[in-house]
Amino acid sequence: MPDYKPPAKHYVPLGGILAFAGLILMAAIPDFQPYTAWASLILVAYGLISCYSRLQTYLEVQSAKPATEIRVKVQPEGPSFQEVLRAMPDPVMVVSGLEPDDIAGRWVVFANKAAMKLFRMEREGGLLVSYIRNPELLEAVDEALFGNVSRSTVFDETGGAQDRFWQAWTSPLPVEGTGKRLALMVMRDETDVRRIERMRADFLANASHELRTPLASLSGFIDTLRGHAKDDEGARDKFLSIMAAQADRMGRLINDLLSLSRIEMNEHVPPTGDADIPLAVKDVVDSLTILAQEKGVAISVVAPKPGLFPVVGDRDQILQVVQNLTDNALKYAPEGSVVEIEVLLDQALPQATAPVEGQASRLMLLRPDRQLNDVYTVVRVRDHGPGIRREFLPRLAERFYRVEGQKSGNKLGTGLGLAIVKHIISRHRGGLVVESVAAEVPAADGLKPDRVVPLTVDVKTWTAFSAYFPQKSVYGQVPVGPRALEGGLKSAG
Amino acid sequence: MNPHTVKTYGEELDQLSAEVILMGGLAEAQVADAVEAVARRDVALAQSVIQRDQRLDELEKDIERKAIRLIALRQPMASDLRKTVSAMKIATSLERTGDLAKNIAKRSLVISESEPMSGLTRSIERMGKLVSSRLRDVLDAYKGSKLDIAQAVWSSDTEVDEHYNAMFRELLTYMMGDPRTISACTHVLFMAKNLERIGDHATNMAEHIHYEVTGEDYMNERPKLTTMEP
Repeated sequence: MPDYKPPAKHYVPLGGILAFAGLILMAAIPDFQPYTAWASLILVAYGLISCYSRLQTYLEVQSAKPATEIRVKVQPEGPSFQEVLRAMPDPVMVVSGLEPDDIAGRWVVFANKAAMKLFRMEREGGLLVSYIRNPELLEAVDEALFGNVSRSTVFDETGGAQDRFWQAWTSPLPVEGTGKRLALMVMRDETDVRRIERMRADFLANASHELRTPLASLSGFIDTLRGHAKDDEGARDKFLSIMAAQADRMGRLINDLLSLSRIEMNEHVPPTGDADIPLAVKDVVDSLTILAQEKGVAISVVAPKPGLFPVVGDRDQILQVVQNLTDNALKYAPEGSVVEIEVLLDQALPQATAPVEGQASRLMLLRPDRQLNDVYTVVRVRDHGPGIRREFLPRLAERFYRVEGQKSGNKLGTGLGLAIVKHIISRHRGGLVVESVAAEVPAADGLKPDRVVPLTVDVKTWTAFSAYFPQKSVYGQVPVGPRALEGGLKSAG
Repeated sequence: MNPHTVKTYGEELDQLSAEVILMGGLAEAQVADAVEAVARRDVALAQSVIQRDQRLDELEKDIERKAIRLIALRQPMASDLRKTVSAMKIATSLERTGDLAKNIAKRSLVISESEPMSGLTRSIERMGKLVSSRLRDVLDAYKGSKLDIAQAVWSSDTEVDEHYNAMFRELLTYMMGDPRTISACTHVLFMAKNLERIGDHATNMAEHIHYEVTGEDYMNERPKLTTMEP
């Protein structure tokens, strides 16, 4: 709002003095010369005119003043403009600047709550570059400050665990008069739009690529059944069961792709509500006991009692994380071994992801953005399968990635399980770490990737996936008792 | 903040670190854009990355000039001196980072002429994202003088190395499978190496930040991976 400035009153007497001086000049000079007459006349006229114009502006301002006063009076009753802006869901910022080449002179003079969250600001003001480093955005701000240009810029937040896209409008604000310049910046979240675009492309590419193989085999068998295997009873049964398996696989693939898309869609929206990890572990183990018995694999669980230590999360999604990790472990666990599930509370995120002492290679597949209180609940699922060699670890959570040399044979997987796990954990702002000790393989010439991985029970080799979910607060001392599942153990014994 | 007797002295110091942050933002964007140019086979973006590198060079010179001027005229002591010196050193690291990003963009122009290799470019994208996040963390640490973030960046360098080694293997398999891809794969290998070196520069900067804040050098050995045979 422009400040009310009183008119320059001293001009009125000045004009009067000039006019008066002119009159005196006229009267005082005895021998009346034409040029003195003209000069005094001009003085009088100028004085009168300036008197009149000043008076007029003064009167105008006076008549306008009551309106200003009313506006000012209204404000204290309702919320101020700043309060209104603070409550807005879209980030809003006001930036001031002094000179074009003085970067340290650009200050954030106002930022609402959303802007403070977006740029991780600790206070409402401060140096502009300490919050915004994006060169395009800074350029747009400069143009608004010094070039009086309003425009919109699209920028993305890179480097974070979740990709986000923003559209920013920058426009100049009226100058205050002290040489300071102001610019307004309003941002809008465009992540949804961009995500939908990208996901449609991804989904189509994945679906068409991955469905082609089972589809080809299906149509091949159909041709055979129509052709020379028409009357062969035995072959027909065999083919039909293969076809059923392929159709199953296609169904699972589509389900997984759809759920991956759904999760990716909401990845930038943090979940609300409470989820109980020990309970999820219990549910998963209960549902997988029969499968484990069939395979001759035991499941052992070490976890605190369910119902006491919730994390912020979506219950179904956390269940899916535990389910996928356990499924995965069961897939690679050899007969007679134990799959260990552990739930640990109050864990700090391992900042050092360097491989720990000994043989285990360790890699962070997903690193959460830094938060103020970093305490996590960890679910660790460990199997004693052949292990994964270090060079394969970085690509593990990639969709459709298979570790070289691992036979997919009877292991029915879509290759999406870990990708789903990763995206769910990313949505929960958590982390995922893989550790593994792989079987020693005699190194050949160091160039050839070794394709043979022995599939025997080896106590020394193992793979563990640890999923980290942020806790609301530190729980402190928690009694943890071992809770083995009899069913699974019996079959192993 | 310790107030200085002469106000403009403090302003000059602030200006120096503000310019380093600005330069950091530019370097960050260069790396991100170069990687995106590779992933999307975007020739125009690659060319703009190559052109923008000049701006980084100019900024580095400017920061150096200002730092030398500050040392000559104000004779900074203790933390102010460290601030000045580390601004200069970090600017040099950022300039190198920009050069490496420019090199990635140049190579992306070459490989955009050959057949698309979506598997490989996806690996580059993943590695690029990791390196970007380290750059972002280290600049956050610089602007807030946060030692713990700098420490975390410093100790997680092996992650980038792991990715580089994985890519090296992947590329070997590709090249052995189809010798016609060797020329393109070599360019991708150099891109991965460049990204790995950008990661090293992030580690360097973390060390400079540690020096700026504490006045002490890093005593520990750098975490290193030695899976690769020499």
